[in-house]
Amino acid sequence: MSLLELREVDAAYGAVQALRGVSLSVARGEIVALLGANGAGKSTTLRAISGLLRPAGGTILFDGQPIGGLHPERVVRLGIAHVPEGRRVFPGLSVRENILLGASNRRASRAEMAQDASAMFALFPDLVRFADAPGWTLSGGQQQMLALARGLMAKPTLLLLDEPSLGLAPLIVQQVFRIIRQIRETGTTVLLVEQNARVALSIADRGYVLETGRLAVSGAPAELWNNEEVRAAYLGGRVAKAG
Amino acid sequence: MSIALQLLFTGIGIGAVYALVALGFVLIYRATNVVNFAQGQFAMLGAFGMVITTEGLGLPYWLGILLTLAAMALFGALFNLGVYYPLRHRSFLPVVISTIGASILLTNGVLATYGPEPATLPGLTDLPGLNFGGLFLDSQYLAIIAITLVLVVLQYLFFERTLLGKKLQATSQDKEMASLLGIPVAGMIMLTFVYSAVLGGIAGILVAPILFVSVGLGAQIALKAFAASIIGGFGDIPGAIAGGLAIGVIETFGAFYISVPYKDAYAFVLLFAFLLLRPQGLFGEKVSQKA
Ligand SMILES: Nc1ncnc2c1ncn2[C@@H]1O[C@H](COP(=O)(O)OP(=O)(O)OP(=O)(O)O)[C@@H](O)[C@H]1O
Ligand SMILES: [Mg+2]
Repeated sequence: MSLLELREVDAAYGAVQALRGVSLSVARGEIVALLGANGAGKSTTLRAISGLLRPAGGTILFDGQPIGGLHPERVVRLGIAHVPEGRRVFPGLSVRENILLGASNRRASRAEMAQDASAMFALFPDLVRFADAPGWTLSGGQQQMLALARGLMAKPTLLLLDEPSLGLAPLIVQQVFRIIRQIRETGTTVLLVEQNARVALSIADRGYVLETGRLAVSGAPAELWNNEEVRAAYLGGRVAKAG
Repeated sequence: MSIALQLLFTGIGIGAVYALVALGFVLIYRATNVVNFAQGQFAMLGAFGMVITTEGLGLPYWLGILLTLAAMALFGALFNLGVYYPLRHRSFLPVVISTIGASILLTNGVLATYGPEPATLPGLTDLPGLNFGGLFLDSQYLAIIAITLVLVVLQYLFFERTLLGKKLQATSQDKEMASLLGIPVAGMIMLTFVYSAVLGGIAGILVAPILFVSVGLGAQIALKAFAASIIGGFGDIPGAIAGGLAIGVIETFGAFYISVPYKDAYAFVLLFAFLLLRPQGLFGEKVSQKA
Protein backbone atom coordinates (compact mmCIF):
# COMPACT_ATOMS: atom_id res chain seq x y z
CA MET A 1 0.00 0.00 0.00
CA SER A 2 1.25 3.48 -0.78
CA LEU A 3 2.02 5.79 2.08
CA LEU A 4 0.37 8.65 0.21
CA GLU A 5 -2.17 8.41 -2.55
CA LEU A 6 -3.99 11.13 -4.43
CA ARG A 7 -7.00 10.06 -6.51
CA GLU A 8 -8.47 12.46 -9.03
CA VAL A 9 -7.81 15.49 -6.84
CA ASP A 10 -9.26 18.83 -7.96
CA ALA A 11 -8.38 22.13 -6.35
CA ALA A 12 -9.25 25.74 -7.09
CA TYR A 13 -8.54 29.24 -5.84
CA GLY A 14 -11.92 30.88 -6.26
CA ALA A 15 -12.58 30.75 -9.99
CA VAL A 16 -9.01 29.65 -10.85
CA GLN A 17 -8.93 25.89 -11.30
CA ALA A 18 -5.42 24.89 -10.19
CA LEU A 19 -5.59 21.07 -10.15
CA ARG A 20 -7.69 18.84 -12.39
CA GLY A 21 -7.94 15.15 -11.55
CA VAL A 22 -4.43 14.71 -10.23
CA SER A 23 -3.61 11.14 -9.18
CA LEU A 24 -0.26 10.13 -7.80
CA SER A 25 1.20 7.87 -5.18
CA VAL A 26 4.25 7.78 -2.99
CA ALA A 27 5.48 4.53 -1.44
CA ARG A 28 7.10 4.31 1.96
CA GLY A 29 10.78 5.18 1.82
CA GLU A 30 10.69 6.75 -1.65
CA ILE A 31 11.84 10.13 -2.85
CA VAL A 32 9.31 11.23 -5.45
CA ALA A 33 9.90 14.34 -7.54
CA LEU A 34 7.01 16.52 -8.66
CA LEU A 35 8.11 18.67 -11.58
CA GLY A 36 6.57 21.23 -13.86
CA ALA A 37 6.74 24.78 -15.10
CA ASN A 38 5.66 27.90 -13.19
CA GLY A 39 2.01 27.78 -12.29
CA ALA A 40 1.67 24.07 -13.11
CA GLY A 41 0.13 23.34 -9.72
CA LYS A 42 3.06 21.83 -7.83
CA SER A 43 2.69 23.98 -4.72
CA THR A 44 -1.07 23.61 -4.89
CA THR A 45 -0.67 19.83 -4.75
CA LEU A 46 1.40 20.11 -1.57
CA ARG A 47 -1.06 22.61 -0.09
CA ALA A 48 -3.93 20.20 -0.71
CA ILE A 49 -2.02 17.40 1.03
CA SER A 50 -1.01 19.43 4.07
CA GLY A 51 -4.46 20.95 4.52
CA LEU A 52 -3.70 24.56 3.60
CA LEU A 53 -6.17 24.19 0.74
CA ARG A 54 -9.34 22.14 0.87
CA PRO A 55 -9.54 19.99 -2.28
CA ALA A 56 -12.63 20.64 -4.38
CA GLY A 57 -12.85 16.97 -5.31
CA GLY A 58 -11.10 13.63 -5.19
CA THR A 59 -9.49 11.68 -2.37
CA ILE A 60 -6.23 12.01 -0.50
CA LEU A 61 -5.18 8.95 1.48
CA PHE A 62 -2.34 8.88 3.97
CA ASP A 63 -1.55 5.44 5.30
CA GLY A 64 -4.94 4.41 3.98
CA GLN A 65 -6.84 7.11 5.88
CA PRO A 66 -8.61 9.95 4.04
CA ILE A 67 -7.02 13.26 5.02
CA GLY A 68 -8.47 15.57 2.34
CA GLY A 69 -9.87 18.72 3.94
CA LEU A 70 -8.37 18.10 7.37
CA HIS A 71 -6.97 21.18 9.08
CA PRO A 72 -3.16 21.59 8.76
CA GLU A 73 -2.75 21.27 12.53
CA ARG A 74 -4.29 17.79 12.33
CA VAL A 75 -2.39 16.73 9.22
CA VAL A 76 1.00 17.50 10.72
CA ARG A 77 0.06 15.52 13.82
CA LEU A 78 -0.50 12.51 11.56
CA GLY A 79 3.13 12.77 10.47
CA ILE A 80 3.16 14.93 7.33
CA ALA A 81 5.48 17.93 7.53
CA HIS A 82 5.22 20.59 4.83
CA VAL A 83 8.21 22.86 4.25
CA PRO A 84 6.49 25.43 2.07
CA GLU A 85 7.65 27.64 -0.74
CA GLY A 86 9.59 30.67 0.45
CA ARG A 87 10.92 29.05 3.64
CA ARG A 88 8.62 31.00 5.91
CA VAL A 89 11.09 31.33 8.76
CA PHE A 90 9.58 33.24 11.72
CA PRO A 91 11.52 36.49 11.35
CA GLY A 92 11.23 37.67 14.93
CA LEU A 93 12.16 34.38 16.59
CA SER A 94 15.69 33.09 16.97
CA VAL A 95 17.01 30.19 14.93
CA ARG A 96 16.83 27.92 17.96
CA GLU A 97 13.24 28.96 18.68
CA ASN A 98 12.26 28.39 15.05
CA ILE A 99 13.69 24.89 15.32
CA LEU A 100 12.03 24.13 18.65
CA LEU A 101 8.61 25.16 17.34
CA GLY A 102 9.00 22.50 14.64
CA ALA A 103 8.12 19.96 17.33
CA SER A 104 4.72 21.56 18.02
CA ASN A 105 2.95 18.63 16.35
CA ARG A 106 4.05 16.08 18.92
CA ARG A 107 4.17 15.68 22.65
CA ALA A 108 7.77 16.01 23.63
CA SER A 109 9.34 17.00 26.92
CA ARG A 110 11.60 20.04 27.01
CA ALA A 111 14.61 17.77 27.40
CA GLU A 112 13.61 15.69 24.39
CA MET A 113 13.09 18.81 22.33
CA ALA A 114 16.45 20.22 23.33
CA GLN A 115 18.06 16.94 22.34
CA ASP A 116 16.28 16.89 18.97
CA ALA A 117 17.31 20.51 18.39
CA SER A 118 20.94 19.57 19.06
CA ALA A 119 20.61 16.82 16.47
CA MET A 120 19.43 19.47 13.98
CA PHE A 121 22.40 21.67 14.74
CA ALA A 122 24.61 18.64 14.14
CA LEU A 123 22.91 18.06 10.78
CA PHE A 124 23.15 21.75 9.84
CA PRO A 125 26.39 22.92 11.47
CA ASP A 126 26.21 26.22 9.56
CA LEU A 127 23.29 27.21 11.78
CA VAL A 128 25.14 26.78 15.06
CA ARG A 129 26.69 30.21 15.17
CA PHE A 130 23.32 31.83 14.39
CA ALA A 131 21.46 29.86 17.04
CA ASP A 132 20.44 32.99 18.94
CA ALA A 133 20.15 35.34 15.96
CA PRO A 134 16.65 36.32 14.79
CA GLY A 135 15.39 34.48 11.71
CA TRP A 136 15.29 37.57 9.51
CA THR A 137 19.06 38.02 9.73
CA LEU A 138 19.80 34.74 7.90
CA SER A 139 20.78 34.48 4.24
CA GLY A 140 18.53 32.60 1.83
CA GLY A 141 20.58 29.43 2.05
CA GLN A 142 20.66 29.55 5.83
CA GLN A 143 16.91 30.12 5.90
CA GLN A 144 16.44 27.07 3.72
CA MET A 145 18.54 25.00 6.12
CA LEU A 146 16.49 26.35 9.00
CA ALA A 147 13.20 25.58 7.25
CA LEU A 148 14.39 22.02 6.65
CA ALA A 149 15.57 21.62 10.23
CA ARG A 150 12.23 22.95 11.52
CA GLY A 151 10.36 20.53 9.25
CA LEU A 152 12.46 17.60 10.46
CA MET A 153 11.77 18.49 14.09
CA ALA A 154 8.22 17.20 13.45
CA LYS A 155 9.76 13.72 13.00
CA PRO A 156 7.59 13.29 9.93
CA THR A 157 6.78 10.04 8.19
CA LEU A 158 6.32 12.05 5.01
CA LEU A 159 8.17 15.26 4.24
CA LEU A 160 6.76 17.64 1.63
CA LEU A 161 9.47 19.94 0.26
CA ASP A 162 8.59 22.88 -1.98
CA GLU A 163 11.50 24.10 -4.09
CA PRO A 164 14.29 23.70 -1.55
CA SER A 165 16.85 24.78 -4.19
CA LEU A 166 15.17 28.03 -5.16
CA GLY A 167 17.57 30.95 -5.10
CA LEU A 168 20.50 28.98 -3.72
CA ALA A 169 24.06 28.93 -5.04
CA PRO A 170 24.99 25.64 -6.75
CA LEU A 171 27.26 24.60 -3.92
CA ILE A 172 24.50 25.09 -1.36
CA VAL A 173 22.05 23.24 -3.61
CA GLN A 174 24.41 20.26 -3.52
CA GLN A 175 24.53 20.48 0.24
CA VAL A 176 20.75 20.67 0.61
CA PHE A 177 20.23 17.68 -1.66
CA ARG A 178 22.84 15.66 0.16
CA ILE A 179 20.83 16.28 3.31
CA ILE A 180 17.57 15.28 1.60
CA ARG A 181 19.20 11.98 0.65
CA GLN A 182 20.35 11.58 4.24
CA ILE A 183 16.81 12.28 5.46
CA ARG A 184 15.48 9.45 3.34
CA GLU A 185 18.14 7.10 4.68
CA THR A 186 16.73 7.64 8.15
CA GLY A 187 13.41 6.28 6.89
CA THR A 188 11.55 9.47 6.01
CA THR A 189 9.58 9.47 2.76
CA VAL A 190 9.98 12.61 0.64
CA LEU A 191 7.72 14.28 -1.91
CA LEU A 192 9.93 16.85 -3.57
CA VAL A 193 8.66 19.75 -5.66
CA GLU A 194 11.34 21.27 -7.84
CA GLN A 195 11.88 23.40 -10.90
CA ASN A 196 15.49 22.30 -10.92
CA ALA A 197 14.65 19.03 -12.67
CA ARG A 198 18.20 17.82 -13.08
CA VAL A 199 19.02 17.89 -9.39
CA ALA A 200 15.61 16.59 -8.38
CA LEU A 201 15.75 13.63 -10.77
CA SER A 202 19.28 12.87 -9.64
CA ILE A 203 18.05 11.87 -6.20
CA ALA A 204 14.46 10.78 -6.92
CA ASP A 205 13.22 7.21 -7.29
CA ARG A 206 10.33 8.32 -9.49
CA GLY A 207 8.98 11.53 -10.89
CA TYR A 208 5.73 13.13 -12.01
CA VAL A 209 5.40 16.04 -14.36
CA LEU A 210 2.48 18.44 -13.96
CA GLU A 211 1.24 20.63 -16.77
CA THR A 212 -1.33 23.34 -16.03
CA GLY A 213 -3.03 21.41 -13.28
CA ARG A 214 -2.92 17.97 -14.93
CA LEU A 215 -0.45 15.13 -14.68
CA ALA A 216 1.35 14.92 -18.00
CA VAL A 217 3.82 12.08 -17.52
CA SER A 218 5.31 9.96 -14.80
CA GLY A 219 8.08 7.44 -14.60
CA ALA A 220 11.59 6.63 -13.52
CA PRO A 221 14.06 9.53 -13.54
CA ALA A 222 15.97 8.18 -16.55
CA GLU A 223 12.75 7.73 -18.49
CA LEU A 224 11.66 11.29 -17.82
CA TRP A 225 15.09 12.62 -18.47
CA ASN A 226 15.39 10.85 -21.82
CA ASN A 227 11.86 11.59 -22.98
CA GLU A 228 12.50 14.23 -25.68
CA GLU A 229 9.01 15.64 -25.49
CA VAL A 230 9.11 15.99 -21.72
CA ARG A 231 12.52 17.54 -21.79
CA ALA A 232 11.61 20.07 -24.38
CA ALA A 233 8.26 20.98 -22.88
CA TYR A 234 8.82 20.91 -19.14
CA LEU A 235 12.37 20.28 -18.18
CA GLY A 236 14.69 21.60 -20.87
CA GLY A 237 14.35 25.30 -20.26
CA ARG A 238 14.54 24.80 -16.55
CA VAL A 239 17.70 22.76 -16.69
CA ALA A 240 19.44 25.35 -18.78
CA LYS A 241 18.31 28.12 -16.45
CA ALA A 242 19.13 26.31 -13.25
CA GLY A 243 22.38 24.96 -14.84
CA MET B 1 11.16 70.97 41.64
CA SER B 2 9.01 69.16 44.12
CA ILE B 3 5.93 70.13 42.10
CA ALA B 4 7.47 68.70 38.95
CA LEU B 5 8.28 65.43 40.74
CA GLN B 6 4.75 65.29 42.10
CA LEU B 7 3.33 65.78 38.61
CA LEU B 8 5.70 63.18 37.20
CA PHE B 9 4.50 60.65 39.76
CA THR B 10 0.85 61.34 39.02
CA GLY B 11 1.50 61.28 35.28
CA ILE B 12 3.25 57.91 35.43
CA GLY B 13 0.36 56.53 37.48
CA ILE B 14 -2.32 57.51 34.98
CA GLY B 15 0.04 56.71 32.10
CA ALA B 16 0.40 53.16 33.43
CA VAL B 17 -3.33 52.69 32.95
CA TYR B 18 -3.08 53.92 29.36
CA ALA B 19 -0.14 51.57 28.88
CA LEU B 20 -2.16 48.55 30.02
CA VAL B 21 -4.95 49.32 27.58
CA ALA B 22 -2.42 50.08 24.85
CA LEU B 23 -0.87 46.66 25.45
CA GLY B 24 -4.27 45.13 24.80
CA PHE B 25 -4.49 46.98 21.48
CA VAL B 26 -1.01 45.86 20.46
CA LEU B 27 -1.33 42.22 21.50
CA ILE B 28 -4.57 41.77 19.60
CA TYR B 29 -3.17 43.63 16.63
CA ARG B 30 -0.13 41.40 16.55
CA ALA B 31 -2.18 38.22 16.83
CA THR B 32 -4.92 39.11 14.36
CA ASN B 33 -3.66 42.10 12.35
CA VAL B 34 -6.78 44.04 13.22
CA VAL B 35 -7.40 46.82 15.69
CA ASN B 36 -9.89 46.07 18.43
CA PHE B 37 -11.75 49.31 18.97
CA ALA B 38 -13.60 47.84 21.94
CA GLN B 39 -10.39 47.62 23.97
CA GLY B 40 -11.30 50.72 25.99
CA GLN B 41 -14.69 49.24 26.82
CA PHE B 42 -12.87 46.31 28.40
CA ALA B 43 -11.53 48.79 30.94
CA MET B 44 -14.98 50.28 31.44
CA LEU B 45 -16.41 46.80 32.07
CA GLY B 46 -13.64 46.11 34.58
CA ALA B 47 -14.50 49.29 36.47
CA PHE B 48 -18.21 48.48 36.44
CA GLY B 49 -17.41 44.93 37.53
CA MET B 50 -15.87 46.42 40.67
CA VAL B 51 -18.83 48.73 41.26
CA ILE B 52 -21.28 45.84 40.90
CA THR B 53 -19.40 43.37 43.07
CA THR B 54 -18.23 45.67 45.86
CA GLU B 55 -20.86 48.42 45.98
CA GLY B 56 -23.83 46.50 44.59
CA LEU B 57 -23.30 43.07 46.12
CA GLY B 58 -21.25 44.32 49.05
CA LEU B 59 -18.50 41.77 48.51
CA PRO B 60 -15.01 42.36 49.89
CA TYR B 61 -12.66 44.24 47.57
CA TRP B 62 -10.34 41.29 46.87
CA LEU B 63 -13.27 39.05 45.99
CA GLY B 64 -14.62 41.77 43.73
CA ILE B 65 -11.30 41.85 41.93
CA LEU B 66 -11.20 38.07 41.49
CA LEU B 67 -14.78 37.90 40.22
CA THR B 68 -14.27 40.85 37.90
CA LEU B 69 -11.12 39.35 36.40
CA ALA B 70 -12.80 35.95 35.96
CA ALA B 71 -15.73 37.66 34.27
CA MET B 72 -13.35 39.61 32.03
CA ALA B 73 -11.57 36.40 30.99
CA LEU B 74 -14.90 34.85 30.08
CA PHE B 75 -15.92 38.03 28.32
CA GLY B 76 -12.69 38.01 26.28
CA ALA B 77 -13.44 34.47 25.14
CA LEU B 78 -17.00 35.36 24.15
CA PHE B 79 -15.79 38.52 22.43
CA ASN B 80 -13.39 36.43 20.35
CA LEU B 81 -16.10 33.93 19.42
CA GLY B 82 -18.76 36.52 18.69
CA VAL B 83 -16.91 39.51 17.28
CA TYR B 84 -13.67 38.24 15.74
CA TYR B 85 -13.92 34.52 14.95
CA PRO B 86 -16.79 34.60 12.43
CA LEU B 87 -14.92 37.26 10.43
CA ARG B 88 -11.38 35.88 10.79
CA HIS B 89 -10.96 35.17 7.08
CA ARG B 90 -12.21 38.61 6.08
CA SER B 91 -10.12 41.67 5.50
CA PHE B 92 -9.16 44.37 8.01
CA LEU B 93 -12.23 46.58 7.61
CA PRO B 94 -15.10 44.17 8.33
CA VAL B 95 -13.39 43.05 11.54
CA VAL B 96 -12.67 46.61 12.65
CA ILE B 97 -16.27 47.58 12.01
CA SER B 98 -17.34 44.55 14.00
CA THR B 99 -15.24 45.69 16.99
CA ILE B 100 -16.62 49.23 16.69
CA GLY B 101 -20.13 47.77 16.68
CA ALA B 102 -19.29 45.75 19.78
CA SER B 103 -17.95 48.88 21.43
CA ILE B 104 -21.16 50.79 20.75
CA LEU B 105 -23.24 47.87 21.97
CA LEU B 106 -21.27 47.63 25.21
CA THR B 107 -21.45 51.35 25.91
CA ASN B 108 -25.18 51.52 25.34
CA GLY B 109 -25.80 48.25 27.13
CA VAL B 110 -24.15 49.64 30.24
CA LEU B 111 -25.93 52.98 29.77
CA ALA B 112 -29.30 51.23 29.56
CA THR B 113 -28.57 49.14 32.64
CA TYR B 114 -26.90 51.66 34.93
CA GLY B 115 -27.83 55.00 33.52
CA PRO B 116 -25.50 57.92 33.01
CA GLU B 117 -24.85 58.60 36.71
CA PRO B 118 -21.17 58.12 37.47
CA ALA B 119 -20.28 55.89 40.42
CA THR B 120 -17.29 56.16 42.71
CA LEU B 121 -15.15 53.43 44.15
CA PRO B 122 -12.80 53.39 47.13
CA GLY B 123 -9.13 52.69 46.52
CA LEU B 124 -7.33 49.38 46.73
CA THR B 125 -6.03 50.15 50.18
CA ASP B 126 -6.91 52.46 53.08
CA LEU B 127 -3.27 53.42 53.53
CA PRO B 128 -2.84 57.12 53.01
CA GLY B 129 0.38 56.95 51.03
CA LEU B 130 3.95 57.94 51.56
CA ASN B 131 5.50 61.29 52.30
CA PHE B 132 8.98 62.06 51.03
CA GLY B 133 9.91 65.51 52.16
CA GLY B 134 7.15 67.36 50.37
CA LEU B 135 6.55 64.68 47.75
CA PHE B 136 3.31 62.84 48.44
CA LEU B 137 2.98 59.38 46.91
CA ASP B 138 -0.70 58.48 46.95
CA SER B 139 -1.33 54.81 47.71
CA GLN B 140 -3.64 54.20 44.75
CA TYR B 141 -1.12 55.64 42.31
CA LEU B 142 1.63 53.61 43.95
CA ALA B 143 -0.52 50.49 43.56
CA ILE B 144 -1.18 51.26 39.90
CA ILE B 145 2.50 51.74 39.17
CA ALA B 146 3.58 48.65 41.10
CA ILE B 147 0.93 46.38 39.59
CA THR B 148 1.64 47.60 36.07
CA LEU B 149 5.34 47.04 36.59
CA VAL B 150 4.77 43.48 37.81
CA LEU B 151 2.42 42.75 34.90
CA VAL B 152 4.86 44.06 32.34
CA VAL B 153 7.68 41.96 33.77
CA LEU B 154 5.51 38.83 33.94
CA GLN B 155 4.31 39.36 30.42
CA TYR B 156 7.86 39.82 29.18
CA LEU B 157 8.98 36.61 30.88
CA PHE B 158 5.98 34.78 29.49
CA PHE B 159 6.62 35.83 25.89
CA GLU B 160 10.38 35.46 26.02
CA ARG B 161 10.90 32.48 28.28
CA THR B 162 8.03 30.06 27.68
CA LEU B 163 7.25 27.85 24.73
CA LEU B 164 3.64 29.00 24.79
CA GLY B 165 4.85 32.58 24.52
CA LYS B 166 6.93 31.60 21.50
CA LYS B 167 3.93 29.93 19.92
CA LEU B 168 1.94 33.11 20.40
CA GLN B 169 4.72 35.08 18.73
CA ALA B 170 4.91 32.58 15.87
CA THR B 171 1.14 32.90 15.40
CA SER B 172 1.39 36.66 15.19
CA GLN B 173 4.25 36.46 12.66
CA ASP B 174 2.88 33.85 10.24
CA LYS B 175 -0.39 32.08 10.98
CA GLU B 176 -0.27 29.72 8.03
CA MET B 177 3.23 28.54 8.92
CA ALA B 178 2.28 28.23 12.58
CA SER B 179 -0.63 25.96 11.68
CA LEU B 180 1.64 23.86 9.43
CA LEU B 181 3.82 23.21 12.47
CA GLY B 182 0.82 22.07 14.50
CA ILE B 183 0.40 25.22 16.58
CA PRO B 184 -3.32 25.63 17.32
CA VAL B 185 -3.76 29.06 15.79
CA ALA B 186 -7.40 29.58 16.80
CA GLY B 187 -6.47 28.66 20.37
CA MET B 188 -3.57 31.12 20.39
CA ILE B 189 -5.88 33.91 19.22
CA MET B 190 -8.46 32.94 21.83
CA LEU B 191 -5.77 33.16 24.49
CA THR B 192 -4.77 36.61 23.23
CA PHE B 193 -8.32 37.91 23.49
CA VAL B 194 -8.76 36.48 26.96
CA TYR B 195 -5.51 38.02 28.14
CA SER B 196 -6.25 41.38 26.53
CA ALA B 197 -9.68 41.48 28.15
CA VAL B 198 -8.13 40.71 31.53
CA LEU B 199 -5.51 43.43 30.97
CA GLY B 200 -8.28 45.89 30.09
CA GLY B 201 -10.18 44.77 33.18
CA ILE B 202 -7.14 45.34 35.38
CA ALA B 203 -6.74 48.82 33.90
CA GLY B 204 -10.39 49.54 34.74
CA ILE B 205 -10.08 48.18 38.27
CA LEU B 206 -6.98 50.26 38.88
CA VAL B 207 -8.29 53.49 37.43
CA ALA B 208 -11.83 53.31 38.87
CA PRO B 209 -10.90 54.82 42.26
CA ILE B 210 -9.18 57.84 40.69
CA LEU B 211 -11.71 58.62 37.96
CA PHE B 212 -15.48 58.53 38.00
CA VAL B 213 -16.85 55.19 36.84
CA SER B 214 -19.15 56.02 33.95
CA VAL B 215 -19.94 54.76 30.49
CA GLY B 216 -17.64 57.42 29.09
CA LEU B 217 -14.66 55.91 30.85
CA GLY B 218 -13.96 53.42 28.08
CA ALA B 219 -13.78 55.93 25.25
CA GLN B 220 -11.75 58.35 27.35
CA ILE B 221 -9.08 55.77 28.11
CA ALA B 222 -9.22 54.12 24.71
CA LEU B 223 -8.41 57.33 22.86
CA LYS B 224 -5.31 57.94 24.97
CA ALA B 225 -4.26 54.29 24.79
CA PHE B 226 -4.75 54.24 21.05
CA ALA B 227 -2.62 57.35 20.70
CA ALA B 228 -0.06 55.66 22.95
CA SER B 229 0.05 52.60 20.69
CA ILE B 230 0.65 54.75 17.65
CA ILE B 231 3.33 56.78 19.37
CA GLY B 232 4.93 53.47 20.29
CA GLY B 233 4.90 52.37 16.66
CA PHE B 234 1.75 50.27 16.41
CA GLY B 235 2.59 46.66 17.19
CA ASP B 236 5.60 47.40 19.36
CA ILE B 237 5.20 46.30 22.98
CA PRO B 238 7.86 48.43 24.70
CA GLY B 239 6.71 51.33 22.52
CA ALA B 240 3.12 51.01 23.71
CA ILE B 241 4.22 51.04 27.34
CA ALA B 242 6.50 54.04 26.85
CA GLY B 243 3.79 55.78 24.78
CA GLY B 244 1.22 55.30 27.54
CA LEU B 245 3.56 56.68 30.18
CA ALA B 246 4.51 59.62 27.96
CA ILE B 247 0.90 60.58 27.41
CA GLY B 248 0.09 60.31 31.11
CA VAL B 249 3.02 62.51 32.04
CA ILE B 250 2.46 65.10 29.33
CA GLU B 251 -1.24 65.55 30.00
CA THR B 252 -0.58 65.89 33.73
CA PHE B 253 2.06 68.56 33.17
CA GLY B 254 -0.08 70.26 30.55
CA ALA B 255 -3.08 70.35 32.86
CA PHE B 256 -0.99 71.96 35.60
CA TYR B 257 1.12 74.42 33.64
CA ILE B 258 -1.07 75.23 30.67
CA SER B 259 -4.75 74.56 31.07
CA VAL B 260 -6.98 71.96 32.68
CA PRO B 261 -9.87 72.07 30.16
CA TYR B 262 -7.44 71.13 27.40
CA LYS B 263 -6.15 68.12 29.36
CA ASP B 264 -7.52 65.60 26.91
CA ALA B 265 -5.98 67.41 23.94
CA TYR B 266 -2.31 67.07 24.91
CA ALA B 267 -2.24 63.38 23.98
CA PHE B 268 -3.27 64.34 20.48
CA VAL B 269 -0.72 67.11 20.17
CA LEU B 270 1.88 64.49 21.00
CA LEU B 271 0.28 62.09 18.54
CA PHE B 272 0.36 64.67 15.72
CA ALA B 273 3.96 65.44 16.47
CA PHE B 274 4.84 61.78 16.19
CA LEU B 275 2.85 61.19 13.03
CA LEU B 276 4.63 64.15 11.43
CA LEU B 277 8.15 63.67 12.73
CA ARG B 278 8.51 60.04 13.65
CA PRO B 279 5.76 57.92 12.07
CA GLN B 280 7.64 54.69 12.76
CA GLY B 281 7.11 55.28 16.48
CA LEU B 282 9.33 55.71 19.50
CA PHE B 283 11.56 52.70 18.97
CA GLY B 284 10.99 52.59 15.22
CA GLU B 285 12.69 49.67 13.58
CA LYS B 286 12.90 48.10 10.17
CA VAL B 287 9.64 46.62 9.01
CA SER B 288 11.34 43.27 8.50
CA GLN B 289 12.30 43.28 12.13
CA LYS B 290 8.87 44.04 13.42
CA ALA B 291 6.94 40.86 13.67
N1 LIG C 1 -3.47 32.28 -3.84
C1 LIG C 1 -3.83 32.08 -5.11
N2 LIG C 1 -4.91 32.71 -5.61
C2 LIG C 1 -5.28 32.51 -6.90
N3 LIG C 1 -4.64 31.71 -7.75
C3 LIG C 1 -3.55 31.07 -7.31
C4 LIG C 1 -3.09 31.23 -5.96
N4 LIG C 1 -1.99 30.46 -5.81
C5 LIG C 1 -1.78 29.86 -7.00
N5 LIG C 1 -2.72 30.22 -7.90
C6 LIG C 1 -2.83 29.74 -9.28
O1 LIG C 1 -2.89 28.34 -9.26
C7 LIG C 1 -2.11 27.79 -10.29
C8 LIG C 1 -1.09 26.82 -9.71
O2 LIG C 1 -0.20 27.53 -8.86
P1 LIG C 1 0.93 26.83 -8.02
O3 LIG C 1 1.43 27.83 -7.06
O4 LIG C 1 0.45 25.55 -7.49
O5 LIG C 1 2.02 26.56 -9.14
P2 LIG C 1 3.49 26.01 -9.01
O6 LIG C 1 3.57 24.83 -9.91
O7 LIG C 1 3.86 25.80 -7.60
O8 LIG C 1 4.33 27.20 -9.66
P3 LIG C 1 5.75 27.83 -9.23
O9 LIG C 1 6.76 26.95 -9.87
O10 LIG C 1 5.72 29.17 -9.86
O11 LIG C 1 5.83 27.85 -7.76
C9 LIG C 1 -1.49 28.96 -11.03
O12 LIG C 1 -2.28 29.22 -12.16
C10 LIG C 1 -1.58 30.09 -10.05
O13 LIG C 1 -1.73 31.31 -10.73
MG1 LIG D 1 5.18 26.71 -6.36
